[in-house]
Amino acid sequence: MTHVEQESLAKANTAKGTAVNAVPAGRRESAVMRFLRQWGTIIVLVVAAVGFSIASPYFATASNLNNILFSMIVSALVSMGLTWVVIAGSFDLSIGLTVTTSSILVAFLIPITGPWLAIVFALLAACLIGVVNGLLVTYGRLSGIVVTLGVMFVLDGINVFITGGYQVPVSYDETAFLYLGQGKLGIVGVPVIILVAVFIVALIAAARTRIGHYIAAVGDNPMAAFYSGINVYRWVILAFVLSALMSGIAGVIVTAISSSAQPVGGEGYLLEAFAAVFLGATVLGKGKPHLFGTLVGVFFLYMVDSGMNMVGFPFAARHIFQGLVLIVAVGANALLNREEVHLKFI
Amino acid sequence: MNATPLVELKNLEKEFAGTKALKGVSLSFLRGEVHGLLGENGAGKSTLIKILTGVYAPSAGEIFLEGSPVRVSSPPEAHRLGLGAVYQDAELVSSFTVGQNILLGNEPGRIGISDRAIHDEAAEILSQMGIELDVRRLAGALSAAEMQLVTLATLFHRRYKLIVLDEPTARLSAAESEVLFRIVDGFKAQGIAIVYISHRLREVQQICDRATILRGGLVSGTLNRGEVTEDRVTELMVDRSRSELATYNDGNSVRPEVLVEVAGLGTAQLAPLSFKIQAGEVLGFTGPVGGGMEDVARALGGISRHSGTAKVRGKAVNLATPIAARRSGIALIPEDRRKQALFPALSAAENICLPVLHSLQHFLMIRPGTMKRYAEAVLDQLAVRPRASSTQVRFFSGGNQQKLVIGKWMSAKATVYIIVEPTNGVDVGAIKEIYDIILQLARDGAAVLLISSSLNEMLALADRIMVIHDGNCVAEAPKKSWTYDDLLAVTLSGKSRHTASPPHVTRSTEEESR
Repeated sequence: MTHVEQESLAKANTAKGTAVNAVPAGRRESAVMRFLRQWGTIIVLVVAAVGFSIASPYFATASNLNNILFSMIVSALVSMGLTWVVIAGSFDLSIGLTVTTSSILVAFLIPITGPWLAIVFALLAACLIGVVNGLLVTYGRLSGIVVTLGVMFVLDGINVFITGGYQVPVSYDETAFLYLGQGKLGIVGVPVIILVAVFIVALIAAARTRIGHYIAAVGDNPMAAFYSGINVYRWVILAFVLSALMSGIAGVIVTAISSSAQPVGGEGYLLEAFAAVFLGATVLGKGKPHLFGTLVGVFFLYMVDSGMNMVGFPFAARHIFQGLVLIVAVGANALLNREEVHLKFI
Repeated sequence: MNATPLVELKNLEKEFAGTKALKGVSLSFLRGEVHGLLGENGAGKSTLIKILTGVYAPSAGEIFLEGSPVRVSSPPEAHRLGLGAVYQDAELVSSFTVGQNILLGNEPGRIGISDRAIHDEAAEILSQMGIELDVRRLAGALSAAEMQLVTLATLFHRRYKLIVLDEPTARLSAAESEVLFRIVDGFKAQGIAIVYISHRLREVQQICDRATILRGGLVSGTLNRGEVTEDRVTELMVDRSRSELATYNDGNSVRPEVLVEVAGLGTAQLAPLSFKIQAGEVLGFTGPVGGGMEDVARALGGISRHSGTAKVRGKAVNLATPIAARRSGIALIPEDRRKQALFPALSAAENICLPVLHSLQHFLMIRPGTMKRYAEAVLDQLAVRPRASSTQVRFFSGGNQQKLVIGKWMSAKATVYIIVEPTNGVDVGAIKEIYDIILQLARDGAAVLLISSSLNEMLALADRIMVIHDGNCVAEAPKKSWTYDDLLAVTLSGKSRHTASPPHVTRSTEEESR
């Protein structure tokens, strides 16, 4: 125990004197509680996986794992993007529509510019959406919810406008581009490899560079960051750009997987992404969103989908289960780290 | 040593809505000097510091840094010029470790950052400063005192030329204060100027090379080390010109009935304290800011955890939550009006009617007209001008806001009113009116507990005064036996030299043996 600790304890003890319920110097957490807080979500995930494996012989197979991974690619990319913005302390509701926009743009541009430039333009357009969101939230002084809600509607309009409401097909001759979505390296699909690569790069950026460090600082206590001489706005804008960029990558992959771009349907990723981010915040007991947790969160949602499908639950039951898991996991975490007064309802 | 002062202030003036907070202050801070800044509330200390750190722009006057004039237009600009400050409510990133906080904004390495490098360097800084603290602990899990020390450590690598410390020992124990003094010595050895604001005279005597006393927006004197004595400081601080108080509580409203009886009230920062308040009586608590008097209000208002029992009108009451406290007839009027007592985006009428809504409603409906009439009656009573009951409260002046907070509870008929720093940030003109409102509450038969660091306020309003210093009640006496100078001496030194010695001195012997 350090000198300072001793002193403050001594102080607390003397002040207690006759005090019965004086505030203790520091709350001591029992080992069981700490273990549950760190591993609770993962334990639930493992238990569910074991349950499904017992109930269905097809669940715990390499090909099913591959299926789950393949189906979660787009959602995982979008959720990882959203993670940055939530870490930075804001919200991004435009991610789902950014997927659609980027998907349409790449399909639209392939015949004009060729696939590689089309991808570059689609990703640049996505980044531009992020810049607009970021600028409005910082210099524009608007709330993240309002800005990205507005941008979401605008993008939806643009998407339908440029496609006329019809899907945009990609020619089957574009084998190189379609390989990105449909190719395989051994048993593993190329999109899964792209997902893993993006995840690793993002993880390094988050854990080992100023990017992750400052976005986390800004999101936790912008005032402290401001007084430490950190350019707060720059990092908030960057978080929005990263979010949009990851949705953009997801859009390109969507087009490559289905050989076409759909004018609508991207908004479904949004709610899934929020569920994954908040579920992910409970992973490893961090209590705040992090990329690895988000990935676990997405995996959990898709694993449950697959497992319940195999066991024969109706589609509706899956959403009920996912919703309950989200509330219970986040709720249990909130119970485990109790603040003195809780007065935030967002 | 270089002859030009590091920072020189020339004829600084600052006016707020017609009231001059600073009336031409000229001061200089030297390299490697610890310069104490003393003065009562409202003397202009915090205004001066805010100008120096770019929060306010001066209305007139100049600031010279190393001989050349500078404009300190914003806090980041002050940062760039090398003018730093640690405020009482220090800011840390709570999900970061101690080490990450210490080096925030200044991490070693170019693109990548290494966790180990950060923590190694932070550990090095802490050991240089003589603080024993694990750099890998989360900042959110630190005690208030440890946070204060970590905040000081964040200054270490920022190459400041001048550092303002605002009541830095308010949250520190005696041993932690010694650590702080060592840190200050370290800064001094590097040639950094330290501006040290404190209400604790012993600290000023111990570490300051010079001390400047402000009074009523002017420098009333600068003392060298050794000249800083209780008598000299008291003499320079007391503003004789405004000793004729327009408002004075002559104590005639006190009735024999005891309304409040508190026994053994204690928190982590406050040694158990007992007191009684009679109907119509104003009991005053004073002492240095952060010395524990604030905890009395927080505990009785049901906000912070505490020990001890309280009786209101002879009945034991439960003070676990603010709701419970309110039900027992306790109304808390907190210091931070904007955050804790008002709804800035609601109208004056909505704010005033809030505690009495149930009596204004008619079949569960509230007519705007009823609300407006009620609110305007209250506004008249409080002399709020203009009588704009439908205006949003955020557009009111500080004085009018404070009147609204008190007015909000006035007709809710609480048994006990706890009022904290009622004239903080209030324009001079409104002070007398607020005093009159507070005395009116007492005349109407309520018990009033006034917590304030302003001694003038104490002497004007209180019937009895208790002085809280470092968590202990060091003196208690009826107001009539206090003179201003005695009261000031006790709040500064924490020792009662007063012959009308307090009836019970709690724990003070233990304090001295520590």
